[in-house]
Amino acid sequence: MTVKHTSTSGAFFATLKRDLLIAYKRKNDLLNPFMFFLIVASLFPIAISPDPEQLSSISSGVLWIAALLASLLAMDNLYRSDYEDGSLELLLLSPQPLYFMVLAKNLSHWLVSGLPVVLVSPLIAYMLKLPAESYLPLFLSLLLGTPVLSLLGSIGVALTVGLGSRGLILAVITLPMSVPVLIFGTLAVQEPRFGAELAGYLAILGAMLFFTITLAPLASAAALRISVN
Amino acid sequence: MNWTWFHKLGSPKSFYAITSRWLPWLIAAMGAFLVVGVLWALLFIPPDYQQGYTTRILVVHVAVAGTSLAFFPIMAVAGTITLVWRMKLADMVAKNAAPLGAWFSFVTLATGSLWGSVMWGTWWEWTDARLVSMLFQFFLLLSVVALRSAIEDNDKAARACALLSIVGCINVVIIKYSVEWWNVLHQPNSPVGMSNSGANGPEFWLPTLVMIVAVYLFLAVSLILATRNEILQRERKAQWVQDLVASS
Amino acid sequence: MIEAIQFSSFAEFLNMGGYGFNVWSVYSVFFVFVVVNLLAPLRRRKQIMKELKRRNILNENAQDSGQASDQASNSLGENQ
Repeated sequence: MTVKHTSTSGAFFATLKRDLLIAYKRKNDLLNPFMFFLIVASLFPIAISPDPEQLSSISSGVLWIAALLASLLAMDNLYRSDYEDGSLELLLLSPQPLYFMVLAKNLSHWLVSGLPVVLVSPLIAYMLKLPAESYLPLFLSLLLGTPVLSLLGSIGVALTVGLGSRGLILAVITLPMSVPVLIFGTLAVQEPRFGAELAGYLAILGAMLFFTITLAPLASAAALRISVN
Repeated sequence: MNWTWFHKLGSPKSFYAITSRWLPWLIAAMGAFLVVGVLWALLFIPPDYQQGYTTRILVVHVAVAGTSLAFFPIMAVAGTITLVWRMKLADMVAKNAAPLGAWFSFVTLATGSLWGSVMWGTWWEWTDARLVSMLFQFFLLLSVVALRSAIEDNDKAARACALLSIVGCINVVIIKYSVEWWNVLHQPNSPVGMSNSGANGPEFWLPTLVMIVAVYLFLAVSLILATRNEILQRERKAQWVQDLVASS
Repeated sequence: MIEAIQFSSFAEFLNMGGYGFNVWSVYSVFFVFVVVNLLAPLRRRKQIMKELKRRNILNENAQDSGQASDQASNSLGENQ
Protein backbone atom coordinates (compact mmCIF):
# COMPACT_ATOMS: atom_id res chain seq x y z
CA MET A 1 0.00 0.00 0.00
CA THR A 2 1.35 3.38 -0.88
CA VAL A 3 0.45 6.59 0.88
CA LYS A 4 0.72 9.78 -1.06
CA HIS A 5 2.70 12.28 0.97
CA THR A 6 2.14 15.97 0.55
CA SER A 7 5.19 18.10 1.10
CA THR A 8 5.04 21.06 3.47
CA SER A 9 5.38 23.55 0.65
CA GLY A 10 2.67 21.70 -1.27
CA ALA A 11 0.35 21.99 1.72
CA PHE A 12 1.23 25.65 2.12
CA PHE A 13 0.33 26.50 -1.45
CA ALA A 14 -2.75 24.28 -1.43
CA THR A 15 -4.08 26.10 1.64
CA LEU A 16 -3.23 29.46 0.12
CA LYS A 17 -4.94 28.58 -3.16
CA ARG A 18 -8.01 27.24 -1.43
CA ASP A 19 -8.43 30.34 0.75
CA LEU A 20 -7.95 32.71 -2.17
CA LEU A 21 -10.47 30.74 -4.18
CA ILE A 22 -13.03 30.92 -1.37
CA ALA A 23 -12.42 34.65 -1.02
CA TYR A 24 -12.88 35.08 -4.76
CA LYS A 25 -16.17 33.21 -4.65
CA ARG A 26 -17.48 35.53 -1.95
CA LYS A 27 -16.93 38.87 -3.55
CA ASN A 28 -18.82 40.73 -0.84
CA ASP A 29 -16.36 39.73 1.83
CA LEU A 30 -13.65 40.85 -0.50
CA LEU A 31 -15.13 44.28 -0.93
CA ASN A 32 -16.22 45.00 2.65
CA PRO A 33 -12.92 45.85 4.34
CA PHE A 34 -12.01 47.95 1.35
CA MET A 35 -15.30 49.88 1.50
CA PHE A 36 -14.94 50.22 5.24
CA PHE A 37 -11.52 51.80 4.80
CA LEU A 38 -12.86 54.29 2.26
CA ILE A 39 -15.88 55.24 4.37
CA VAL A 40 -14.04 55.62 7.67
CA ALA A 41 -11.37 57.76 6.02
CA SER A 42 -13.99 60.01 4.45
CA LEU A 43 -15.78 60.48 7.75
CA PHE A 44 -12.82 62.31 9.28
CA PRO A 45 -12.96 65.43 7.09
CA ILE A 46 -16.67 65.66 7.82
CA ALA A 47 -16.26 65.22 11.57
CA ILE A 48 -13.13 67.33 12.03
CA SER A 49 -12.84 69.97 9.35
CA PRO A 50 -12.56 70.28 5.58
CA ASP A 51 -9.69 72.72 6.13
CA PRO A 52 -6.75 71.40 4.02
CA GLU A 53 -4.14 72.36 6.57
CA GLN A 54 -5.83 70.59 9.45
CA LEU A 55 -6.49 67.59 7.25
CA SER A 56 -2.91 67.30 6.15
CA SER A 57 -1.72 67.29 9.75
CA ILE A 58 -3.99 64.39 10.75
CA SER A 59 -4.13 62.45 7.49
CA SER A 60 -1.31 59.99 8.22
CA GLY A 61 -2.90 59.04 11.54
CA VAL A 62 -6.35 58.76 9.99
CA LEU A 63 -5.08 56.50 7.24
CA TRP A 64 -3.27 54.25 9.67
CA ILE A 65 -6.22 53.98 12.07
CA ALA A 66 -8.60 53.30 9.18
CA ALA A 67 -6.27 50.57 7.90
CA LEU A 68 -6.04 49.10 11.41
CA LEU A 69 -9.83 49.05 11.83
CA ALA A 70 -10.36 47.62 8.35
CA SER A 71 -7.91 44.82 9.09
CA LEU A 72 -9.66 44.17 12.41
CA LEU A 73 -13.08 44.08 10.75
CA ALA A 74 -11.95 41.57 8.18
CA MET A 75 -10.30 39.42 10.86
CA ASP A 76 -13.47 37.70 11.92
CA ASN A 77 -13.66 35.75 8.64
CA LEU A 78 -10.17 34.38 9.06
CA TYR A 79 -11.00 31.11 10.83
CA ARG A 80 -14.74 31.30 11.48
CA SER A 81 -16.18 29.66 8.37
CA ASP A 82 -13.48 26.99 8.53
CA TYR A 83 -14.35 26.42 12.15
CA GLU A 84 -18.05 26.16 11.40
CA ASP A 85 -17.77 23.71 8.52
CA GLY A 86 -15.14 21.59 10.29
CA SER A 87 -12.29 22.10 7.84
CA LEU A 88 -10.26 23.75 10.58
CA GLU A 89 -10.22 20.47 12.48
CA LEU A 90 -8.94 18.69 9.39
CA LEU A 91 -6.23 21.31 9.12
CA LEU A 92 -5.21 20.65 12.72
CA LEU A 93 -5.12 16.91 12.07
CA SER A 94 -2.95 17.17 8.98
CA PRO A 95 0.62 15.86 9.31
CA GLN A 96 2.20 19.05 7.93
CA PRO A 97 3.39 21.61 10.47
CA LEU A 98 0.49 23.85 11.42
CA TYR A 99 2.80 26.87 11.36
CA PHE A 100 2.88 26.90 7.55
CA MET A 101 -0.87 26.37 7.21
CA VAL A 102 -1.55 29.29 9.53
CA LEU A 103 0.99 31.37 7.64
CA ALA A 104 -0.75 30.51 4.36
CA LYS A 105 -4.13 31.49 5.77
CA ASN A 106 -2.72 34.75 7.12
CA LEU A 107 -1.05 35.51 3.81
CA SER A 108 -4.25 34.93 1.87
CA HIS A 109 -6.14 37.04 4.38
CA TRP A 110 -3.69 39.88 3.93
CA LEU A 111 -3.77 39.56 0.13
CA VAL A 112 -7.54 39.85 0.24
CA SER A 113 -8.08 42.48 2.94
CA GLY A 114 -4.75 44.23 3.52
CA LEU A 115 -3.26 44.65 0.08
CA PRO A 116 -6.30 46.42 -1.47
CA VAL A 117 -6.19 48.92 1.38
CA VAL A 118 -2.49 49.52 0.76
CA LEU A 119 -3.07 49.94 -2.96
CA VAL A 120 -5.90 52.43 -2.57
CA SER A 121 -4.16 54.40 0.19
CA PRO A 122 -2.53 56.99 -2.15
CA LEU A 123 -5.99 57.94 -3.41
CA ILE A 124 -7.34 58.48 0.10
CA ALA A 125 -4.10 60.24 0.97
CA TYR A 126 -4.74 62.68 -1.84
CA MET A 127 -8.30 63.28 -0.66
CA LEU A 128 -7.02 63.89 2.87
CA LYS A 129 -4.38 66.36 1.61
CA LEU A 130 -1.39 64.37 2.71
CA PRO A 131 1.76 66.30 1.70
CA ALA A 132 3.07 64.99 -1.60
CA GLU A 133 6.44 63.88 -0.24
CA SER A 134 4.70 61.55 2.23
CA TYR A 135 3.04 59.34 -0.36
CA LEU A 136 5.93 56.94 -0.74
CA PRO A 137 6.55 56.62 3.04
CA LEU A 138 2.83 56.03 3.58
CA PHE A 139 2.64 53.38 0.90
CA LEU A 140 5.77 51.57 2.05
CA SER A 141 4.90 51.74 5.75
CA LEU A 142 1.43 50.35 5.09
CA LEU A 143 2.93 47.65 2.88
CA LEU A 144 5.21 46.53 5.71
CA GLY A 145 2.80 47.26 8.57
CA THR A 146 -0.52 45.77 7.48
CA PRO A 147 0.82 42.19 7.28
CA VAL A 148 1.97 42.61 10.89
CA LEU A 149 -1.58 43.64 11.81
CA SER A 150 -2.95 40.55 10.05
CA LEU A 151 -0.47 38.26 11.80
CA LEU A 152 -1.15 39.76 15.23
CA GLY A 153 -4.90 39.80 14.72
CA SER A 154 -4.76 36.15 13.75
CA ILE A 155 -3.69 35.31 17.34
CA GLY A 156 -6.74 37.08 18.73
CA VAL A 157 -9.08 35.41 16.24
CA ALA A 158 -7.59 32.00 16.93
CA LEU A 159 -8.11 32.50 20.67
CA THR A 160 -11.74 33.50 20.27
CA VAL A 161 -12.80 31.36 17.31
CA GLY A 162 -15.11 29.04 19.21
CA LEU A 163 -16.90 31.75 21.16
CA GLY A 164 -20.42 32.95 20.60
CA SER A 165 -19.91 36.70 20.76
CA ARG A 166 -16.50 37.63 19.40
CA GLY A 167 -16.69 41.09 17.91
CA LEU A 168 -15.76 43.25 20.87
CA ILE A 169 -13.45 40.90 22.67
CA LEU A 170 -11.43 40.52 19.49
CA ALA A 171 -10.97 44.29 19.36
CA VAL A 172 -10.07 44.42 23.04
CA ILE A 173 -7.38 41.77 22.56
CA THR A 174 -5.99 42.93 19.23
CA LEU A 175 -5.98 46.73 19.37
CA PRO A 176 -3.54 47.19 22.28
CA MET A 177 -1.14 44.78 20.55
CA SER A 178 -1.12 46.96 17.44
CA VAL A 179 0.34 49.98 19.24
CA PRO A 180 3.99 49.46 18.21
CA VAL A 181 3.05 49.08 14.53
CA LEU A 182 0.86 52.16 14.73
CA ILE A 183 3.67 54.15 16.34
CA PHE A 184 6.32 53.27 13.80
CA GLY A 185 3.89 53.32 10.88
CA THR A 186 2.81 56.88 11.57
CA LEU A 187 6.33 57.99 12.49
CA ALA A 188 7.57 56.67 9.15
CA VAL A 189 5.06 58.93 7.43
CA GLN A 190 5.54 62.02 9.60
CA GLU A 191 9.20 62.11 10.52
CA PRO A 192 10.83 62.19 7.05
CA ARG A 193 9.12 65.56 6.60
CA PHE A 194 11.32 66.87 9.40
CA GLY A 195 14.45 65.41 7.89
CA ALA A 196 14.54 61.98 9.51
CA GLU A 197 15.76 58.99 7.55
CA LEU A 198 12.85 57.00 6.11
CA ALA A 199 14.99 53.87 5.77
CA GLY A 200 15.42 53.67 9.55
CA TYR A 201 11.69 53.51 10.19
CA LEU A 202 11.15 51.06 7.38
CA ALA A 203 13.93 48.91 8.83
CA ILE A 204 12.13 48.83 12.18
CA LEU A 205 8.82 47.98 10.52
CA GLY A 206 10.59 45.29 8.52
CA ALA A 207 12.13 43.90 11.68
CA MET A 208 8.67 43.82 13.25
CA LEU A 209 7.36 42.01 10.20
CA PHE A 210 10.04 39.32 10.41
CA PHE A 211 9.60 39.02 14.15
CA THR A 212 5.84 38.48 13.78
CA ILE A 213 6.23 36.15 10.79
CA THR A 214 8.43 33.90 12.90
CA LEU A 215 6.49 34.02 16.16
CA ALA A 216 2.87 35.02 15.54
CA PRO A 217 1.87 31.94 13.47
CA LEU A 218 3.30 29.76 16.24
CA ALA A 219 1.08 31.53 18.75
CA SER A 220 -1.89 31.35 16.36
CA ALA A 221 -1.31 27.64 15.83
CA ALA A 222 -1.14 27.03 19.58
CA ALA A 223 -4.27 29.14 20.06
CA LEU A 224 -6.14 27.15 17.41
CA ARG A 225 -5.20 23.90 19.10
CA ILE A 226 -6.60 25.30 22.35
CA SER A 227 -9.81 26.64 20.82
CA VAL A 228 -10.66 23.67 18.63
CA ASN A 229 -10.95 20.60 20.87
CA MET B 1 18.97 20.14 45.07
CA ASN B 2 15.78 18.86 46.60
CA TRP B 3 12.71 19.73 44.58
CA THR B 4 10.02 18.06 46.67
CA TRP B 5 8.93 21.40 48.14
CA PHE B 6 8.25 22.64 44.61
CA HIS B 7 6.11 19.66 43.70
CA LYS B 8 4.34 19.97 47.02
CA LEU B 9 3.61 23.61 46.34
CA GLY B 10 2.24 22.57 42.97
CA SER B 11 -0.56 20.49 44.43
CA PRO B 12 -3.53 22.60 45.51
CA LYS B 13 -3.90 20.73 48.76
CA SER B 14 -0.34 21.28 49.98
CA PHE B 15 -0.37 24.84 48.67
CA TYR B 16 -3.41 25.43 50.85
CA ALA B 17 -1.71 23.83 53.85
CA ILE B 18 1.60 25.63 53.35
CA THR B 19 -0.01 29.04 52.84
CA SER B 20 -2.14 28.47 55.94
CA ARG B 21 1.12 28.43 57.86
CA TRP B 22 2.68 31.35 55.96
CA LEU B 23 -0.27 33.69 55.83
CA PRO B 24 -0.21 34.97 59.43
CA TRP B 25 3.47 35.88 59.04
CA LEU B 26 2.97 37.47 55.65
CA ILE B 27 0.03 39.49 56.88
CA ALA B 28 1.93 40.61 59.97
CA ALA B 29 4.94 41.64 57.88
CA MET B 30 2.73 43.40 55.36
CA GLY B 31 0.91 45.30 58.09
CA ALA B 32 4.16 46.33 59.75
CA PHE B 33 5.79 47.50 56.52
CA LEU B 34 2.65 49.34 55.43
CA VAL B 35 2.29 51.19 58.73
CA VAL B 36 5.98 52.07 58.90
CA GLY B 37 6.08 53.10 55.24
CA VAL B 38 2.96 55.26 55.36
CA LEU B 39 3.83 56.95 58.64
CA TRP B 40 7.42 57.54 57.58
CA ALA B 41 6.28 59.02 54.29
CA LEU B 42 3.54 61.20 55.74
CA LEU B 43 5.35 62.44 58.83
CA PHE B 44 9.08 62.45 58.22
CA ILE B 45 9.92 63.14 54.59
CA PRO B 46 11.20 66.71 54.42
CA PRO B 47 9.72 68.93 51.70
CA ASP B 48 11.68 68.79 48.44
CA TYR B 49 13.09 72.13 47.34
CA GLN B 50 11.27 71.86 43.99
CA GLN B 51 8.37 69.55 44.61
CA GLY B 52 7.43 70.35 48.20
CA TYR B 53 5.42 67.64 49.87
CA THR B 54 4.38 65.99 46.62
CA THR B 55 7.31 63.59 47.03
CA ARG B 56 5.01 61.83 49.50
CA ILE B 57 2.81 60.95 46.55
CA LEU B 58 5.77 59.45 44.77
CA VAL B 59 6.51 57.07 47.63
CA VAL B 60 3.17 55.34 47.03
CA HIS B 61 3.18 55.82 43.27
CA VAL B 62 6.65 54.40 42.70
CA ALA B 63 5.95 51.38 44.91
CA VAL B 64 2.66 50.51 43.20
CA ALA B 65 4.03 51.21 39.71
CA GLY B 66 7.10 49.04 40.26
CA THR B 67 5.02 46.19 41.63
CA SER B 68 2.52 46.40 38.78
CA LEU B 69 5.32 45.54 36.36
CA ALA B 70 5.60 42.14 38.03
CA PHE B 71 2.19 40.96 36.85
CA PHE B 72 2.88 40.10 33.24
CA PRO B 73 6.04 38.14 34.12
CA ILE B 74 4.09 36.32 36.86
CA MET B 75 1.27 35.53 34.44
CA ALA B 76 3.65 34.50 31.65
CA VAL B 77 5.54 32.11 33.93
CA ALA B 78 2.28 30.71 35.31
CA GLY B 79 0.98 30.45 31.75
CA THR B 80 4.04 28.51 30.61
CA ILE B 81 3.58 26.12 33.54
CA THR B 82 -0.11 25.74 32.60
CA LEU B 83 0.65 25.02 28.95
CA VAL B 84 3.63 22.73 29.47
CA TRP B 85 2.90 20.85 32.67
CA ARG B 86 -0.85 21.42 32.97
CA MET B 87 -0.39 22.30 36.63
CA LYS B 88 -3.77 23.36 37.94
CA LEU B 89 -2.38 25.63 40.60
CA ALA B 90 -0.52 27.81 38.10
CA ASP B 91 -3.76 28.70 36.41
CA MET B 92 -5.48 29.44 39.70
CA VAL B 93 -2.73 31.97 40.42
CA ALA B 94 -2.86 33.40 36.88
CA LYS B 95 -6.62 33.74 36.92
CA ASN B 96 -6.52 35.96 39.99
CA ALA B 97 -3.35 37.80 39.00
CA ALA B 98 -4.95 39.41 35.93
CA PRO B 99 -7.68 41.45 37.66
CA LEU B 100 -5.33 42.29 40.54
CA GLY B 101 -2.77 43.51 38.02
CA ALA B 102 -5.42 45.67 36.39
CA TRP B 103 -6.09 47.18 39.82
CA PHE B 104 -2.40 47.88 40.31
CA SER B 105 -2.11 49.54 36.90
CA PHE B 106 -5.19 51.61 37.56
CA VAL B 107 -3.90 52.82 40.92
CA THR B 108 -0.56 53.62 39.30
CA LEU B 109 -2.33 55.76 36.71
CA ALA B 110 -4.54 57.43 39.33
CA THR B 111 -1.69 58.29 41.69
CA GLY B 112 0.49 59.32 38.76
CA SER B 113 -2.07 61.78 37.49
CA LEU B 114 -2.66 63.14 40.99
CA TRP B 115 1.07 63.85 41.13
CA GLY B 116 1.12 65.20 37.58
CA SER B 117 -1.77 67.54 38.23
CA VAL B 118 0.44 69.60 40.53
CA MET B 119 3.87 69.02 39.05
CA TRP B 120 2.93 69.25 35.37
CA GLY B 121 -0.28 71.22 35.74
CA THR B 122 -2.22 68.53 33.90
CA TRP B 123 -3.94 65.29 34.86
CA TRP B 124 -2.86 63.46 31.76
CA GLU B 125 0.30 63.89 29.76
CA TRP B 126 0.84 61.95 26.54
CA THR B 127 4.46 63.00 26.41
CA ASP B 128 5.31 60.92 29.46
CA ALA B 129 6.27 57.50 28.12
CA ARG B 130 5.75 55.78 31.44
CA LEU B 131 2.15 56.93 31.71
CA VAL B 132 1.32 55.87 28.17
CA SER B 133 2.92 52.44 28.40
CA MET B 134 1.24 51.90 31.77
CA LEU B 135 -2.09 52.72 30.12
CA PHE B 136 -1.49 50.02 27.53
CA GLN B 137 -0.38 47.55 30.17
CA PHE B 138 -3.72 48.27 31.84
CA PHE B 139 -5.57 47.58 28.58
CA LEU B 140 -3.65 44.36 27.97
CA LEU B 141 -4.40 43.09 31.47
CA LEU B 142 -8.07 43.90 30.97
CA SER B 143 -8.03 41.97 27.70
CA VAL B 144 -6.79 38.88 29.57
CA VAL B 145 -9.62 39.36 32.09
CA ALA B 146 -12.10 39.77 29.22
CA LEU B 147 -10.89 36.61 27.47
CA ARG B 148 -11.19 34.65 30.71
CA SER B 149 -14.77 35.72 31.22
CA ALA B 150 -15.68 35.06 27.58
CA ILE B 151 -14.65 31.38 27.57
CA GLU B 152 -16.96 29.17 29.57
CA ASP B 153 -14.93 26.00 29.66
CA ASN B 154 -12.46 26.26 32.55
CA ASP B 155 -9.66 24.24 31.00
CA LYS B 156 -9.88 25.98 27.65
CA ALA B 157 -9.98 29.40 29.33
CA ALA B 158 -6.91 28.48 31.33
CA ARG B 159 -4.85 27.61 28.27
CA ALA B 160 -6.15 30.47 26.12
CA CYS B 161 -5.36 33.00 28.85
CA ALA B 162 -1.97 31.40 29.41
CA LEU B 163 -1.12 31.92 25.75
CA LEU B 164 -2.45 35.48 25.74
CA SER B 165 -0.42 36.25 28.86
CA ILE B 166 2.79 35.05 27.22
CA VAL B 167 2.04 37.07 24.06
CA GLY B 168 1.06 40.03 26.25
CA CYS B 169 4.27 39.83 28.25
CA ILE B 170 6.38 40.11 25.08
CA ASN B 171 4.07 42.83 23.84
CA VAL B 172 4.32 44.96 26.97
CA VAL B 173 8.10 45.10 26.53
CA ILE B 174 7.82 46.07 22.84
CA ILE B 175 5.16 48.67 23.61
CA LYS B 176 7.34 50.13 26.36
CA TYR B 177 10.27 50.68 24.02
CA SER B 178 8.12 51.89 21.10
CA VAL B 179 6.37 54.42 23.30
CA GLU B 180 9.71 55.65 24.62
CA TRP B 181 10.96 56.14 21.09
CA TRP B 182 7.74 57.81 20.02
CA ASN B 183 7.99 60.00 23.05
CA VAL B 184 11.53 61.18 22.42
CA LEU B 185 10.41 62.48 19.03
CA HIS B 186 7.52 64.40 20.53
CA GLN B 187 9.60 65.80 23.35
CA PRO B 188 9.55 69.48 22.20
CA ASN B 189 6.01 69.81 23.57
CA SER B 190 6.81 68.34 26.94
CA PRO B 191 6.19 70.43 30.02
CA VAL B 192 9.10 71.58 32.15
CA GLY B 193 10.12 69.67 35.23
CA MET B 194 9.09 66.29 33.86
CA SER B 195 11.64 64.22 35.69
CA ASN B 196 11.33 63.45 39.35
CA SER B 197 15.07 63.74 39.77
CA GLY B 198 14.65 66.15 42.66
CA ALA B 199 13.50 63.39 44.93
CA ASN B 200 16.47 61.10 45.22
CA GLY B 201 18.07 61.53 48.65
CA PRO B 202 18.08 58.76 51.25
CA GLU B 203 15.33 60.59 53.18
CA PHE B 204 13.19 59.88 50.15
CA TRP B 205 14.30 56.47 48.90
CA LEU B 206 14.47 54.77 52.29
CA PRO B 207 10.71 55.13 52.94
CA THR B 208 10.12 54.28 49.28
CA LEU B 209 12.06 51.06 49.75
CA VAL B 210 9.97 50.20 52.79
CA MET B 211 6.84 50.92 50.79
CA ILE B 212 7.98 48.77 47.87
CA VAL B 213 8.49 45.82 50.22
CA ALA B 214 5.07 46.54 51.75
CA VAL B 215 3.33 46.60 48.38
CA TYR B 216 5.03 43.39 47.24
CA LEU B 217 3.90 41.72 50.47
CA PHE B 218 0.41 43.04 49.84
CA LEU B 219 0.51 41.59 46.33
CA ALA B 220 1.55 38.22 47.75
CA VAL B 221 -1.12 38.24 50.47
CA SER B 222 -3.94 39.30 48.18
CA LEU B 223 -2.96 36.82 45.48
CA ILE B 224 -2.61 33.97 47.96
CA LEU B 225 -6.00 34.73 49.52
CA ALA B 226 -7.68 34.77 46.12
CA THR B 227 -5.88 31.60 45.03
CA ARG B 228 -7.01 29.79 48.17
CA ASN B 229 -10.62 30.71 47.34
CA GLU B 230 -10.10 29.35 43.86
CA ILE B 231 -8.73 26.11 45.32
CA LEU B 232 -11.72 25.69 47.62
CA GLN B 233 -14.04 26.24 44.71
CA ARG B 234 -12.40 23.99 42.17
CA GLU B 235 -11.50 21.22 44.60
CA ARG B 236 -14.85 21.30 46.39
CA LYS B 237 -15.48 17.64 45.67
CA ALA B 238 -12.16 16.60 47.25
CA GLN B 239 -12.33 14.95 50.65
CA TRP B 240 -9.91 17.38 52.31
CA VAL B 241 -12.07 20.38 51.35
CA GLN B 242 -15.17 18.63 52.65
CA ASP B 243 -13.38 17.94 55.93
CA LEU B 244 -12.20 21.53 56.08
CA VAL B 245 -15.73 22.81 55.56
CA ALA B 246 -17.15 20.42 58.11
CA SER B 247 -14.60 21.46 60.73
CA SER B 248 -15.01 25.19 60.20
CA MET C 1 12.50 61.21 66.44
CA ILE C 2 9.69 63.56 67.42
CA GLU C 3 11.79 66.50 66.26
CA ALA C 4 12.07 64.91 62.82
CA ILE C 5 8.31 65.19 62.30
CA GLN C 6 7.85 67.83 59.67
CA PHE C 7 4.74 69.46 61.10
CA SER C 8 4.06 71.52 64.19
CA SER C 9 0.26 71.46 64.04
CA PHE C 10 -2.43 69.13 62.77
CA ALA C 11 -3.75 71.74 60.36
CA GLU C 12 -0.29 72.00 58.83
CA PHE C 13 -0.21 68.24 58.53
CA LEU C 14 -3.52 68.25 56.66
CA ASN C 15 -2.40 71.08 54.42
CA MET C 16 0.83 69.33 53.26
CA GLY C 17 2.40 72.57 52.18
CA GLY C 18 -0.49 73.39 49.89
CA TYR C 19 -0.68 69.99 48.23
CA GLY C 20 -3.13 68.56 50.76
CA PHE C 21 -5.76 67.56 48.24
CA ASN C 22 -3.38 65.59 46.05
CA VAL C 23 -1.40 63.95 48.82
CA TRP C 24 -4.46 62.88 50.76
CA SER C 25 -6.25 61.72 47.61
CA VAL C 26 -3.32 59.48 46.75
CA TYR C 27 -3.21 58.00 50.23
CA SER C 28 -7.01 57.47 50.22
CA VAL C 29 -6.89 55.77 46.83
CA PHE C 30 -4.05 53.60 48.11
CA PHE C 31 -5.95 52.81 51.32
CA VAL C 32 -9.13 51.85 49.46
CA PHE C 33 -7.08 49.76 47.02
CA VAL C 34 -5.34 47.80 49.76
CA VAL C 35 -8.45 47.30 51.89
CA VAL C 36 -10.67 46.26 48.98
CA ASN C 37 -8.16 43.76 47.66
CA LEU C 38 -7.77 42.18 51.09
CA LEU C 39 -11.40 42.22 52.18
CA ALA C 40 -12.87 41.03 48.88
CA PRO C 41 -11.11 37.64 48.95
CA LEU C 42 -11.90 37.25 52.64
CA ARG C 43 -15.60 37.91 52.06
CA ARG C 44 -15.58 35.60 49.07
CA ARG C 45 -14.08 32.90 51.26
CA LYS C 46 -16.91 33.23 53.78
CA GLN C 47 -19.42 33.00 50.95
CA ILE C 48 -17.76 29.89 49.52
CA MET C 49 -17.60 28.24 52.93
CA LYS C 50 -21.30 28.92 53.49
CA GLU C 51 -22.19 27.58 50.08
CA LEU C 52 -20.09 24.43 50.51
CA LYS C 53 -21.55 23.82 53.95
CA ARG C 54 -25.07 24.14 52.62
CA ARG C 55 -24.26 21.68 49.87
CA ASN C 56 -22.73 19.19 52.25
CA ILE C 57 -25.87 19.27 54.37
CA LEU C 58 -28.05 18.89 51.29
CA ASN C 59 -25.95 15.98 50.09
CA GLU C 60 -26.20 14.27 53.47
CA ASN C 61 -29.97 14.72 53.42
CA ALA C 62 -30.06 13.41 49.91
CA GLN C 63 -28.08 10.36 50.91
CA ASP C 64 -30.39 9.79 53.86
CA SER C 65 -33.56 10.05 51.83
CA GLY C 66 -32.00 8.50 48.75
CA GLN C 67 -32.71 11.48 46.53
CA ALA C 68 -30.17 13.17 44.33
CA SER C 69 -29.85 16.90 44.83
CA ASP C 70 -27.99 18.40 41.97
CA GLN C 71 -29.43 21.88 42.24
CA ALA C 72 -27.05 22.65 45.05
CA SER C 73 -23.93 21.67 43.18
CA ASN C 74 -24.93 23.84 40.26
CA SER C 75 -25.38 26.98 42.30
CA LEU C 76 -21.63 27.42 42.72
CA GLY C 77 -20.49 28.25 39.24
CA GLU C 78 -17.02 27.57 37.94
CA ASN C 79 -16.56 30.98 36.43
CA GLN C 80 -16.88 33.74 38.94
